[in-house]
Amino acid sequence: MGTTPAEMPIPVDWYLYLSAALFMIGVAGVLIRRNLFIILFSIELMLNAVNINLVGFARYHENMVGQNFVIFVMAIAAAEAAVGLAIATALFRNRRTLMVDLFDRMKG
Amino acid sequence: MTEKILFVAFGYLALAGGLGTISRKNVVHALLLLVFTFLNVAAIFFLTQAYFLAVVQILVYAGAIMVLFVFVIMLLNLRTFEQEEQTHRRQRWAAAILSVLVLAEFVVVLAGVTFTSAKNGITPEIISQAGGNANVFGKALFNQQLLPFEVASVVLLVAMVGAIILVKREKSAGGAPRSWEPGEQPSPEAVEEEV
Repeated sequence: MGTTPAEMPIPVDWYLYLSAALFMIGVAGVLIRRNLFIILFSIELMLNAVNINLVGFARYHENMVGQNFVIFVMAIAAAEAAVGLAIATALFRNRRTLMVDLFDRMKG
Repeated sequence: MTEKILFVAFGYLALAGGLGTISRKNVVHALLLLVFTFLNVAAIFFLTQAYFLAVVQILVYAGAIMVLFVFVIMLLNLRTFEQEEQTHRRQRWAAAILSVLVLAEFVVVLAGVTFTSAKNGITPEIISQAGGNANVFGKALFNQQLLPFEVASVVLLVAMVGAIILVKREKSAGGAPRSWEPGEQPSPEAVEEEV
């Protein structure tokens, strides 16, 4: 106990800037690319940016809730990857393409 | 000071990997760059002394989820898409400019905010005295977050069943006859017809 708690070695703002940049790269990927797989990758990038934020703030506020939450984000990311890949497989089987702008059957 | 230098280095590497992911034509190259990004994020978790999460990030994210992606890419034979246009013709510039603008907005907002630490007292020193990161992490997870943890298992079960149902072939339909073999570049008319 006796030691005084050390200050956070990395300022919490840095985590926020990094996470914002990574998140916007993910958003740009979703908006720009046509390939369904790259869009799924971009979603993973965005979820990782959120994880960086959560871990940084868990360290900043000196508690464990943020780190616990990251586990749930990872679980949801795994579920999302599984369902997303299943949808990609089904789409590819039926339409022979993975370019998202060609999936416009429900367009009015 | 060392931590700061390492944080900046790993942060820039993660961003470079992310930019590579969204700019590669070859899906497998994009995937490898994504794994690179995840490894750098794991290094940042290490620097934040979230050791358990860093290990989980490498095992689950860079390991399991990426193997799943590689497996499906292998299954679908995506090389045929490299000749096609990779970006939305109409919205790509607007999307890029808007992304940069929103990032600038984030930076402006963050530059004007000051945070106050809640100081809940679970510092790295306390954690190492209480038996290490994994120990404290597990105790918090199974005491405070037990219900969300159980719900997460249900979510994973639902995702698994959903994935199986989505990929299952309908027996009665027998599958529509296709006019080209897998791996072969289909003619645009054939794609149009099937679509």
